[in-house]
Amino acid sequence: MGVISSLGYTLSDNHTSLRKGQTGIGKAHHFQSNYADILPFAEINCADQELVKRNKIDNDPSLTRTTLIAMHAFDEAINHAQLTTEELQSSRTAFLSSSTVGGMCYTDALYADANDTGNVSPFVASYEGSDHTVRIALKYGLKGYTDTINTACSSSANAILIGMKLIQSGRVDRAIVGGADCLAKYTVNGFNSLRILSEEPCKPFDVNRNGLTLGEAAAYLVLEAEELVGDKVKWAVVSGGGNANDAFHPSATSENARGPVLAMERALQQAGLSANDINYINAHGTGTENNDRTESIAFQHVFGSPPPFNSTKSYTGHTLAAAGAIESVFTVLSLFYQELYPSLNCADPQPEFPFHPIVNQATNHTIQHAMTNSFGFGGNCTSLVLSKCS
Amino acid sequence: MFVKASKAISPQFTLDERFEQGVLIDEVARVYQAIEPDYSPLIPTSLLRRMGKAVRMGIGAGLPLLHEYGKVDGIILGTANGGLEDCVKFLNQIVDYNEGVLTPTNFVQSTPNAVAGQLALMTSTTAYNCTHVNGSLAFENSLLDAALQLEDNPSAVILVGAIEEFSQYNYTIDRLSGRYKDNPVSNSQLISDMSPGSICGEGCSMFILSNDATEATLEVIDVHQVIANETGSVKNALIELLQRNAIHPNEINTLLLGRNGDPRTQQFYAAVSDLCEEVKSVVHFKSYCGEYRTASAFGMYLAHKMTKQPISDWKGETLSFFGDFALIYNHFDGIRHGFILVKKHA
Repeated sequence: MGVISSLGYTLSDNHTSLRKGQTGIGKAHHFQSNYADILPFAEINCADQELVKRNKIDNDPSLTRTTLIAMHAFDEAINHAQLTTEELQSSRTAFLSSSTVGGMCYTDALYADANDTGNVSPFVASYEGSDHTVRIALKYGLKGYTDTINTACSSSANAILIGMKLIQSGRVDRAIVGGADCLAKYTVNGFNSLRILSEEPCKPFDVNRNGLTLGEAAAYLVLEAEELVGDKVKWAVVSGGGNANDAFHPSATSENARGPVLAMERALQQAGLSANDINYINAHGTGTENNDRTESIAFQHVFGSPPPFNSTKSYTGHTLAAAGAIESVFTVLSLFYQELYPSLNCADPQPEFPFHPIVNQATNHTIQHAMTNSFGFGGNCTSLVLSKCS
Repeated sequence: MFVKASKAISPQFTLDERFEQGVLIDEVARVYQAIEPDYSPLIPTSLLRRMGKAVRMGIGAGLPLLHEYGKVDGIILGTANGGLEDCVKFLNQIVDYNEGVLTPTNFVQSTPNAVAGQLALMTSTTAYNCTHVNGSLAFENSLLDAALQLEDNPSAVILVGAIEEFSQYNYTIDRLSGRYKDNPVSNSQLISDMSPGSICGEGCSMFILSNDATEATLEVIDVHQVIANETGSVKNALIELLQRNAIHPNEINTLLLGRNGDPRTQQFYAAVSDLCEEVKSVVHFKSYCGEYRTASAFGMYLAHKMTKQPISDWKGETLSFFGDFALIYNHFDGIRHGFILVKKHA
C-alpha cells in the first residue's frame, strides 16, 4: 500500500496520525485560491517542486500535481508490496487508477489554453483524466492492462472492485488499484456552488454538521492472487464488493438510501457474509446533511444496529476519487492491527439515530470483516468488504 | 458476448436508413460534427436546455436501447473527456467572476459519469454503473468491464457505449497540442491527406450486450491493449491477442482501422495490416466519424452494420465483412493502442 495525504507522505505517517487521532485538516499553505484563507482544507503539505524532488523525477514541466502525488503513492505501494521489476512489468500486472479533476488541476492554465488567450501552457497535453495513468505506465514500463475510472467520489472504490474481478477471472495475476485527486479551484468552486463546503473542519455524523471539507490524496493498493503472495505479508483480503446506482438525483442521495443499501447488500452477498459478520465500517461520512442522514438510514436498513463505524474524512477531508482507496488502506490498517481510530468532531451525534461513530481509540479490538463505503455524484454507490487474513 | 443491438449518433446519417443506403456526407471541414436527433420525445425540454452535448448524445443513443430492452443489468460507458464544454464553462465562471458566487449546473454536468448517471436516473436503473475515462482505451475498458459482469451474471443484459463531444474549447486545446490539421479536409480525402494532424470528430455509439446469441449477428471475442511508442510492441500485443484466442492472423479478413490521415503515426496501422496478410476488406472508420479518443466504438458500430449488409466507401464501392473474424485497431496518440476482436455470428 502507498499513501500520500494531509496526514503525511507515507503509509507510516498516515498510520501514526490515525493512532494519535490527529487530523490533517487546517489552513492550506500551497493551494492558491480565494477560499484558501476562508475555508479549511486537508492539504498535502508539499509544494509541487518539492514533490518533483521527492519523486526523484526529471523536472518535466508538463507533470501536474495529480500525477506527482499519484507517482509518489504508486512508488510506495510497489515497494511496500516488494514487487520485482519483472512482476511490475509483467503483462499479467494490471494498473487501475482513478481521478476526478485529473490533469485539469491548474484551473488558470486550462482557462488560458481552452480560450487560447496567449502563451500555450506546459500542461496543454496533460488535461485528460487519465493523464496520470499513462505517465505512470510509461515511467515504470508497465505492459499490462490499464484503466482509469471516474465515477466521481466512488471512483477508486470501483478501481478496487474491478481489479479484484480481473484477478478472480484469471486474466491477471495482480492489480495495482487506487486513485489520486489534488486540491483545485475547479472542485473547490464546484462544491462551493452546491453550498456543501463547511466553514469549520467537517463534522461527520454530528447533528451540527454543515458540509464537507475538501482534501487531496493519492493511495494505491497492490492486490495479488493468493497463490502468488508466497512469504510476503498479506495485509488483508478483498472479500467482496457491490456497486449500485441510486437513480435518484445527479448530486444527492435518496431519502430511502436505495443505492447505498443495494451497494452494501451486494458487497455482503458477493463476500458470502451476512450483516452480522461485519465488525467495523469505514463510512463514506462526508459531513453533509444529506449524506450522513442517508448513510445512517442505510445502516439501519442493512444492519439494524451497525457495528462500530467512523469517518476518516474527519482526518483527510474528502479526497474525492482517492477516497475509496485511502479509506480502504485505513480499513486494512484497522484489520491488520486490530485497532479502531476515533471519528473526529462528532461531539453531538445525530439524535434521530440510536448509534453514533466511535469517538475513542480502541486497540485489541477483534475485527474479522470490515466494510468501506463510497457514494458519488451520478448516483454511483460502491461498498467493499475487506477481511483479516487467517 | 453478443451485440444484440447498436445505435450511433455520428457525423454520418446513422439516425435513419440513409447511411445503410449508402448516402454519405463528404464535407470539407475542420470538424465533422455529429448529426443530433430530435431529442423532444426522449428528454423534457426543461431538462434538455441545461444538458451538455455529451449528456444529450448519450441519452439520445442510449435511452432508445434501454426502452427497447427494458431493465438492464449494467450501464458501462467510456469517455476520455465527458462534458468538457460544461467543464470549461464552469471554469470560465471561476476565472471571470474571480471565484465568486457560481451556479452549479455546469459543474454537476461536467463529471464524466453524468451520462451513465443520467441514463440510470431516467430509467430507474439501480444496477451496476461505471464510467471509464482511460483516454483512447476507455471503450475497450468498458467492453472488458461488461465481460466481467457477464461472467458474474451470465443472463445479464448490459448497455455499453462511448461518447465524445466536440466543443470549441477541447478543439482549441487539442489544436494547440498539434493534433489537428491546419486546413480543412473532406471525409473522402482524410486518409490520404499528407499534412500532420487529423480532423476532429465526435459522436456516441451504444450497444446492448449479452450472452444470448438469439438474432445476434456480431460476437465480441476479446479486447486487448498495450502502451507503447514503437511498432514492435504493438505487433507483439496483436500476436498475443490472437494466440490466446487460437486464431491465425490469416483468419482476419476484415480490418477496421483508426487511421486518421496523420502521417506521423500511421506506421502503427501499417504494422497491423502487415501482420494480417489475408485481409480483403479494410474500413478506415475515422473517415466517417473524424478523430476523437473513443472513436473505436464507432468502428465496432460499423462492424455490427457490416454483418448485416456492406457499407459504402468514398469511391462508391462497398465494404463487406469478409470471413469470420474482424479486428478493430485504434490508437489516438501513438501511445495507447486498443484492439477489439469480433466475430460474425450467422
